[in-house]
Amino acid sequence: MWYGMSGDAPDPDGQMAAQLQRGDSTAIEALYGRYGRLALGVAYRILNDRGAAEDAVQDAFVAVWRHAAGFDASRGGLRNWLLSIVRNRAIDRLRGNARARTEVQLDSAEPAGGVPDPWAAVALDLERRQIREAFDELPEAQRRTLSLAYFAGLTQVEIAQQMQVPLGTVKGRMRIGLEKMRAFLLARGVTV
Amino acid sequence: MTAMNHDEAEELLGAYALDALTGDERQRIEEHFLSCEEHRDVATELRATASMLALTVEDRDPSPSLGRRIMEAVNAERSQPAAVPPLPLLPQNTMTRRRVGRRPSLWMRPAYLAVAAALVVALAAGALIGRLTVPNAATVAYTFQGDATHAPGAQARLVYFKDQQAAVVAATGLPKLASGQVYEMWLIGNGVPVDEGIGSSTNGDLAARLTGDISRFQQFAITIEPGEQRLPTTMPILLGNLRTGS
Repeated sequence: MWYGMSGDAPDPDGQMAAQLQRGDSTAIEALYGRYGRLALGVAYRILNDRGAAEDAVQDAFVAVWRHAAGFDASRGGLRNWLLSIVRNRAIDRLRGNARARTEVQLDSAEPAGGVPDPWAAVALDLERRQIREAFDELPEAQRRTLSLAYFAGLTQVEIAQQMQVPLGTVKGRMRIGLEKMRAFLLARGVTV
Repeated sequence: MTAMNHDEAEELLGAYALDALTGDERQRIEEHFLSCEEHRDVATELRATASMLALTVEDRDPSPSLGRRIMEAVNAERSQPAAVPPLPLLPQNTMTRRRVGRRPSLWMRPAYLAVAAALVVALAAGALIGRLTVPNAATVAYTFQGDATHAPGAQARLVYFKDQQAAVVAATGLPKLASGQVYEMWLIGNGVPVDEGIGSSTNGDLAARLTGDISRFQQFAITIEPGEQRLPTTMPILLGNLRTGS
């Protein structure tokens, strides 16, 4: 979370998590309203296919609902949990592990629903700007290595083969790249 | 499986954080974390940072129907009977302690094979579900149905021989595996899934033997995984309660 704007701001994610754990399905609507476009952005980045990305997002939201009782906020926020599930579902589909998907009409797009939360939207936007900056600060080889792992779901060995570099180089780029991002974000007050 | 030493784990922390290890490598490094607080803490930090990569993407506008589809799917789940306890997903449980002393095994002795073979045949014929006669008080049988969406035709039967501390499982109609995939079985106790071994099949039928006392577990599940995993990385294609099985 970004805490730079107000330490007293409400925690919508915490409220949604509590609602989900009480079995209140309106929290899914709220979660979708808040993170639906971001979730689809993650899935689309991985799959580069709108229909498959939407299926992955749908699977992920249903999984959040199904497993909400097991959500442990001490291990990371609701947003990160949702996005990690979106990524896993999308990578599954990328590897061909998912079942046949339903086709989705490419009809005109409209923003996701849900109640707008101006503060939360601005805070999220600022946080994402910082994270993009942290990523862009990395050397090209480290950015590509992290992307191949996170968005293409490749193993370190596959990355070494694709980039035609020694495995040890890939290991080093992953570790150093993540550490640089972490240091960059911590220096700017972003909680990692 | 050989234990991972400190130096080897040190080299793999970045790849671990990015899920860029094979299943075996991940299992070995997580075993190492159980005895190495330093690496466990670093791994937690690096995983948190890696999760931030999701926030570097550009938003995409979903089609108008997506929100409705999600709520329809959620409401369909709500209308189902009593939800079973959650099966933890990998990001929530990356460092759960592995139970020691039970070696997953899918190899069966002839006596168990005969039971499992009979179960498979009966399952395939649709004759056994819910109607298996319990031979004696030392035997307990459970029936499980596949996930309505991902394995609608799948069925499994688990027979536990209390006195021998062993069980046989027979499943049929499981979704076909893609290249490199395996079925992985899990026993779940207090929300923690324990790997009970992997198997493969070309026709969707699976027979396996489980060893040990299963009475302290609450659920049984099968997932499809890209190789043996220490914790599930996909949703179960079949999941059921062991306390209320038929």
